[in-house]
Amino acid sequence: MKKSIFYLLLVSLFLCQCQKDSSSISKNSGSVGQGGSLARFAITGNYLYSVDENQLKVFDISNAADPVLKNTEDIGFEIETLFPFKDKLFIGSATQVYIYSIEDPAKPKLLSSAISPEVMRRCDPVVAKDSVAFATLRTNGPCGGTQSVLAVYNIKDITNPVQVATYPVGEPYGLGYDDDVLYVCDKQRGLLLFDISHPYQPTLINISINDGSYVDVIPYQNTLICWTTTGLILYDITNNRNPKLIKTVD
Amino acid sequence: MRKLICIFFTTLILFSCDPKPGDIPIPMETYVPVYASMSDIQQISVEPEKATINAGKIYAYQNYIFQNDLYSGIHIIDNSDQHNPVKVAFLSLPLNTEMSIKGNYLYANNYTDLVVFDVTNPANPQFIKRVAGVFPPANQEYPPYTNVYFKCVDKSKGIVVRWEKQNIPTPNCRR
Repeated sequence: MKKSIFYLLLVSLFLCQCQKDSSSISKNSGSVGQGGSLARFAITGNYLYSVDENQLKVFDISNAADPVLKNTEDIGFEIETLFPFKDKLFIGSATQVYIYSIEDPAKPKLLSSAISPEVMRRCDPVVAKDSVAFATLRTNGPCGGTQSVLAVYNIKDITNPVQVATYPVGEPYGLGYDDDVLYVCDKQRGLLLFDISHPYQPTLINISINDGSYVDVIPYQNTLICWTTTGLILYDITNNRNPKLIKTVD
Repeated sequence: MRKLICIFFTTLILFSCDPKPGDIPIPMETYVPVYASMSDIQQISVEPEKATINAGKIYAYQNYIFQNDLYSGIHIIDNSDQHNPVKVAFLSLPLNTEMSIKGNYLYANNYTDLVVFDVTNPANPQFIKRVAGVFPPANQEYPPYTNVYFKCVDKSKGIVVRWEKQNIPTPNCRR
């Protein structure tokens, strides 16, 4: 995972963005799907955003069948992930996170690159919910650090996240939440579940789920979609604290 | 003097018996260029479902789940029966890694191009549009890293579409 960096989950996109979609009037008013934490593509409103190694691209998809490249922004080096949150884009790179405002969706504007590597380092997938963000800080490989943790941030000021808690984990990758349960992919310990009913103090739920090598998750309706190194594993999360294996799709 | 010559030859003999490290090629981490032609890259088709080879990114849309197969396309899984999701098709899309869907339109990368499919019937995506050259091509000379070994590019083999890490014995280039 030499160039692996700041993995950002799109989970909040759906929770926050659906609202936005329903309130905005547009020709292209279809529903948006839901992606995972390694995404470099993201749709919000009538725009498709993409990141490559160095640049952010903005495509106008008002006419869904005919995307038009509207804008290209040079960002930095080793850009990895794209995470829309409210009217911001969090763009993860090897060394820092860039925060762009998309108040004017066709013209993303750099607000800050203020999140220091000490606070949210590279290799860190993030999910955000209201005023709390969860990130897994993985320490193996080139990412640095001594103990992998699930970290909790207060993001009332979105450009200045403040770490409020950490929880030791094994080798964490993607994460996602459904209501008051946070799912964390851990290649050593399996799928970890945290109770986040008190979001600033997550507590580990005592359950062991280890059916594969988990990379990322999308909690989607009553199904937890897990990307594993061999394909997919699906769980029924009608009871979100007790996922029941549905099927492996390889 | 004789002694010196003796030592010299003894040393020579000893060294000649000693296998030099270079004699046995040790596989080492090397970046290898992957070649393709433009017509290969643009060869898009909907195929019957097939086994996942290199599981990639996931995407959920309505009753369907999509999973990229690294650099080869997208598995389409019908999840209408949540107790029995089934693979229904494979969208063969060379060099694809990313996807996103809104309102029955699937947007995906196809090397340097953005391609659009109508997924009104997700099991049978219809190609709609190609926006060419919007994503950067792979470096045609060397891998995008420094202090690494790599296999030199042979331009007669086509364009370099990506660099793959492999363990091979004799990488012939370095940067």
